[in-house]
Amino acid sequence: MKRLLGVALGILTAIGGFVDIGDLVTNAVVGSRFGMSLAWVVLVGVVGICLFANMSGRVAAVSGRATFEVIRERLGPRAGLANLGASFLINVMTVTAEIGGIALALQLASGVSYMLWVPFALLAVWLVVWRVKFSIMENVTGLVGLSLVVFAVALFLLKPDWGALAGQAFALSVPAQEGAGVYWYYAIALFGAAMTPYEVFFFSSGAVEEGWKIKDLLQSRINVLLGFPLGGFLSIAIAGCAAVVLLPAGISVTSLSQVALPVAQAGGQLALAVLILGVVAATFGAALETTLSSGYTLAQFFGWSWGKFRRPAQAARFHVSMIVVLLAGVAVLATGVDPILVTEYSVVFSAIALPLTYLPILVVANDPQYMGKHVNGRAVNIAGVIYLFIILVASLAAIPLMIATGAGA
Amino acid sequence: MNLNDILGSDVVDGDGQRLGEVSDVRFALDAGAGQLLSQGRFVGIVVSPRTASSFLGYERQELSQPWPLAQLLRWWHRGSFLVLWEDIAVLGSREVGLRPGFTAYDARLTR
Repeated sequence: MKRLLGVALGILTAIGGFVDIGDLVTNAVVGSRFGMSLAWVVLVGVVGICLFANMSGRVAAVSGRATFEVIRERLGPRAGLANLGASFLINVMTVTAEIGGIALALQLASGVSYMLWVPFALLAVWLVVWRVKFSIMENVTGLVGLSLVVFAVALFLLKPDWGALAGQAFALSVPAQEGAGVYWYYAIALFGAAMTPYEVFFFSSGAVEEGWKIKDLLQSRINVLLGFPLGGFLSIAIAGCAAVVLLPAGISVTSLSQVALPVAQAGGQLALAVLILGVVAATFGAALETTLSSGYTLAQFFGWSWGKFRRPAQAARFHVSMIVVLLAGVAVLATGVDPILVTEYSVVFSAIALPLTYLPILVVANDPQYMGKHVNGRAVNIAGVIYLFIILVASLAAIPLMIATGAGA
Repeated sequence: MNLNDILGSDVVDGDGQRLGEVSDVRFALDAGAGQLLSQGRFVGIVVSPRTASSFLGYERQELSQPWPLAQLLRWWHRGSFLVLWEDIAVLGSREVGLRPGFTAYDARLTR
């Protein structure tokens, strides 16, 4: 019974933890411009993150090494440092976006400008990172984040023409009013939102934090294989809401209130309240994950002691680096840059940097010296190589498309 | 001298002909115990004709999956060979010179 509860908790946490500001914004933007015609990308992204998380979780459980320890060891200090630089920059960008997301959600709830909420968000994130136990932090934000199910409920309440939505989803074609370049640019953004590197840093380091052993692999596999697809389903519901309400009205999403508009229209104030709760929890959870990931990657590369299972004084550099990252994120927000814009760029840069972390994990997950008999099976490897190709293509195409389309304008 | 100084430097034979770059350095842990650990013994350098980049572990024969990746990396490093310490004449920071009549061993690691 206790085990069953553990599994259920893990799945629910994975669902709530899957959606972050990147998914919220990108799915809404895409839904409002392309309808459901990019829903297939979410599917591709979810399968990809399942594959990636499964491999890195297995490497962590079997070898006791988290992702960046593996990267440093396999790529050596020089290539590893370049890799760290790119990953770390994107982490900081994502931290910035998530803190902005918390503040925007609180603005939506209170009417007070988000800029005034930023310092509170910073303080709250730091306090939790510093004081709260790993498992509590994970489970609370994940469970409260589940209230984002309100997007799926709202979609039903809106009574859409399901046939038309499915038609858009399965047509697999560029909508007439948009160009092919923009379509593919947003496809990459959506892919990056579903498959962000920080999720993997966090997932594999979390496996070490929670002391996973080989016997825990089954449970982690269930969490990932059920939780992430259900999280992907939420992503599609976000796009669906935007496709039903915003697309016909010609509203393109540039703020969080527009993301929330369909939910408010469908379910009124109560639904809006639930939505805000969900957004705060999801962005707060993701802010914790990205902040921790910044600390994890730095500490794992430089060989500092890390982890929330240690007292902060015993992992001082780890905790100091996270404080610096949080302050850097807030400094960026203090310039007045639009958090939604930061989010839109962060998901694309995530897609660009993805091969850097994916390739070493794919290689090490196949290395019998590390993994013994727990190396990748045949099916996982076939999928792994197909995804390596997809990830490389997305990464290489992102910058040219960004320039050609003026970042999707 | 740091290992980083050797890695990536050009390798030339006795006549000054360029053979490739140092892509790896091999050690054996079979010497007597030092203070805490067995001391590493410098066995030799791996010379790769095209690239000084990492083998990513594919120099070990037991690592053979995913197949396309293993093929790609082995193809990229084709013609790599191991030169033992005693066949190295000069170990400079820019250039590594080999003795005339050096022996090129298979760079692959079997189990």
